[in-house]
Amino acid sequence: MDSQPFTQEYMDSKYIRNFSIIAHIDHGKSTLADRLLEVTGALAQREMMAQVLDSMDLERERGITIKAHAVRLMYHSKDGHDYQLNLIDTPGHVDFSYEVSRSLAACEGALLVVDASQGVEAQTIANAFLALENNLEMIPVINKIDLPSAEPEMAKQQIEHAIGLPPADAILVSAKSGIGIDEMLEAIVHRIPAPTGSADAPLRALIFDSWFDPYRGVVVLVRVMEGKLTRGTKIRFWSNGQVYVAESLGIFTPKAVAVDELSAGEVGCIAANIKKISDAQTGDTITEDARPAAGPLPGFQEIKPMVFAGLYPVDADNHGPLRDALEKLRLNDSALFYEAENSAALGFGFRCGFLGLLHMEIVQERLEREFDLNLITTAPGVRYRVIHKSGALIEVDNPTKFPEAGDIERVEEPVITATIITQEAYLGGILALLEEKRGAQKKFEYLSATRVILTYDLPLNEVVLDFYDRLKTVSRGYASFDYHLAGYQTAPLVKLDIMVAGEPLDALSMIVHRDFAHERGKIFVEKLRKLIPRQQFEVALQAAIGAKIVARETIHALRKNVIAKCYGGDISRKRKLLEKQKEGKKRMKRVGRIDIPQEAFLAVLKINE
Amino acid sequence: MAAGIYLSIPFCRQKCTYCNFASEARAFSALPSYLSALSKEIAQSSARWEQAGLPGYEGAPADSIFMGGGTPGLLNGGQLRNLILSISARFSLEPDAEITIEASPENIGSEGGAERAAEWAAAGVNRVSMGVQSMVERELRAVGRQHTAATVAEACNHLRQAGISNISIDLIAGLPHQTAESWQESLDAALALGVPHLSVYMLEVDENSRLGGELLRAGPRYGAGAVPPEEAIVEFYFHAMARLNSNGYEHYEISNFAQPGRASRHNEKYWTAAPYFGFGVDAHSYDGRHRWANTDSIDSYLQGIESITSIFDEPRALSDTERREERFFLGLRRREGIHLDHRDVENAEMVAQINSCIASGWIERTGGKIRLTNHGVIFSNEVFAGFLGIA
Repeated sequence: MDSQPFTQEYMDSKYIRNFSIIAHIDHGKSTLADRLLEVTGALAQREMMAQVLDSMDLERERGITIKAHAVRLMYHSKDGHDYQLNLIDTPGHVDFSYEVSRSLAACEGALLVVDASQGVEAQTIANAFLALENNLEMIPVINKIDLPSAEPEMAKQQIEHAIGLPPADAILVSAKSGIGIDEMLEAIVHRIPAPTGSADAPLRALIFDSWFDPYRGVVVLVRVMEGKLTRGTKIRFWSNGQVYVAESLGIFTPKAVAVDELSAGEVGCIAANIKKISDAQTGDTITEDARPAAGPLPGFQEIKPMVFAGLYPVDADNHGPLRDALEKLRLNDSALFYEAENSAALGFGFRCGFLGLLHMEIVQERLEREFDLNLITTAPGVRYRVIHKSGALIEVDNPTKFPEAGDIERVEEPVITATIITQEAYLGGILALLEEKRGAQKKFEYLSATRVILTYDLPLNEVVLDFYDRLKTVSRGYASFDYHLAGYQTAPLVKLDIMVAGEPLDALSMIVHRDFAHERGKIFVEKLRKLIPRQQFEVALQAAIGAKIVARETIHALRKNVIAKCYGGDISRKRKLLEKQKEGKKRMKRVGRIDIPQEAFLAVLKINE
Repeated sequence: MAAGIYLSIPFCRQKCTYCNFASEARAFSALPSYLSALSKEIAQSSARWEQAGLPGYEGAPADSIFMGGGTPGLLNGGQLRNLILSISARFSLEPDAEITIEASPENIGSEGGAERAAEWAAAGVNRVSMGVQSMVERELRAVGRQHTAATVAEACNHLRQAGISNISIDLIAGLPHQTAESWQESLDAALALGVPHLSVYMLEVDENSRLGGELLRAGPRYGAGAVPPEEAIVEFYFHAMARLNSNGYEHYEISNFAQPGRASRHNEKYWTAAPYFGFGVDAHSYDGRHRWANTDSIDSYLQGIESITSIFDEPRALSDTERREERFFLGLRRREGIHLDHRDVENAEMVAQINSCIASGWIERTGGKIRLTNHGVIFSNEVFAGFLGIA
């Protein structure tokens, strides 16, 4: 029994600690969060569900966190004081690095979790640098130390080498069995600084997440940096000037609990009858309408999609349901962009913009799983800057809208800086892949005797096509990868068209480096030749850059059906055969006078198979 | 209407590489027990069909028996006589019934063939359909066949000596190594024999035959690499049509050619929606309203007959639509074509389909009758599939 009198000192910002856990996938972030909830009594063991912070099924299945959340924990420290710990969860993937950076900006410190057997990975480094940029106090935590394969000393050294944190600062834990958790909690209290903003200053609250709730509208998760937010106050969003009444305020323990006030240093949520999630943008500043702050908090960026693809229903009747489904997803995903698009080959669909490849896969999977849609996704691409001969600059994310070659002065493509950490043994294959993908080496360093960190500049369009899969293959899974956008570079890019009987198949057009156009075109038309059934007439398949044909194949005309024996009056066998033939026709898309099976598009779009 | 009877003999000495039928090349030790099961089935099924809501056949008129395979030509006179007696004990078999047996040329063209032909004739067989496929040795060996053109000629002699002149020969266009010249050679040899009936098929390519599977995978075995191109096979077929036509054979069904009055009575039943009843493994039946089929496994068949449990699937009553569809995909196989009725003519989709086939040169129309053109024969599945779902 606790005999000390209960105080409310943890409401004082002196006793508040705001922190995140940053880690590479599978290094144990969610288990560690669960353990913190359990140890601080936020969740009794019996009500505990494994990994409560990851609430979406998809998140749990993929072992990653898509949406950030924040939980307030009460911790009675060995120094005799009660502390308010706000654990701010961060999305765990490279596609969401801006969201991660905003979540980190809401904190004063972070636990840098590294798996004792795996060591430092690419994502550890990327997130550690985001934390450093946000001036966070970092506590290295070596997790899974009770595994037989654990090498905590190795992990400590890698942390020192790659990030510069002293080995002596590291805490050894096992989130699974509870080893070292007390020591870690004490370190949070004593090493992470208290928030400093004044509660008397005009209100400045940082939005670091938001989601759509069907009953309350958009719920906005904020960290109050300065001032006070009281229920019923008129609040103003800095970026768009919109004003709302803060109808209700709340915190998560992890159960939602209503509060009347959120003060400087605290973390909580606001419901203000906001209709659209795009009105509450991550990184934006909330101030009080009647007493605005002098300026916004730093670091706000508009969300910009990086990867683009066309999404088409396999069944044309599903165009309406696809639109409804995208609308629903967009309610909760301000990073998802879409606009109607019409393809001669695939019919009515949507051009969609995503933060990255993983984001695209998640959207695709949710559409198929939660909305029961069957989709064709065109080859993913990026947004190019095309500078016209006239000097005008346009941004193009859809190959079919690429200007005529003669009108183009130059084309700029987005470039990323990629970090890859791998075992020395796989270097050969990885370097060859990076070379093939037009990579430029920036750094080559040994992290330990057998592990290497590679830093490369790579064109983003080379990465979105099949880079992840290829990297996984050449490294047998022993390479971690992370990137950030590094700007634009001029490149000799051309539009490659695929034509069937002289008609371009718009869905298959793509922007490629001039040196690769010939090879890509050849692969495409060869694949198509095998997939398009013979027609009543000869069909030419061509790959072209403008008027120049770079590859050609011919599908010879269908000459006959088979005249076969009817064994013993088996009429149902005949019927089945004819029905199959008829059914096959129905599933084809008609382009000009050519019937093309749906599978042909699907197969061609998977270029690496 | 008199029915046709089909008896299935699913045994072969060895399976041909192009065969995609459920025949089993297995120990002939099973043949005698199979034949006695077959006789039992014929004796018992009338009552069992009635139990299943189908018409019984005690005393029903029948005017054809077709023994198909497999290789029924392996049967001797006694075995054949027993089978035919089983039929005539239950059905009212017309005196001029067409009684056909499918045979391989070596069944009757080699030693002992003359005697076997005589036994068959004595048992009541009056028509023999020979799976010749080719008269060219290289082509025959490539697909696993043992006979030669001489065997075929000898078989014809033996049959005629035994009094069986109603002979049919099967040929396949598209066998490995076939060329325009070798195809001509096969046709010449067949014509020289003066048989009154010829069936000409094309090589079927699917996963169910060894050669078909090899072709689909573009492999080299079974002579797959030597199969002539599609264009050539079409030429072979057109050539056969012209040549047989000029030699007095009528192209009465897309794959069948006959001298006047020698069309196969049994085969016609399939295309004209006449009733036929099948006995034995994988035998199919049609009573004018239902279609059903026996099990396609020899073991389950033998077991079913032994234990008097059902050996056939639930009979399916044809819907009106299915029947109307069959008029097209079965009826149009006959070169004389079919009559359109008022429902066809009032159906806009149907009229559009017919007109599109006419525009493609696949169908020709005379008054209220449509029929396949020669070009349409070559694209018959394309034509037939188009009539599904709109009839």
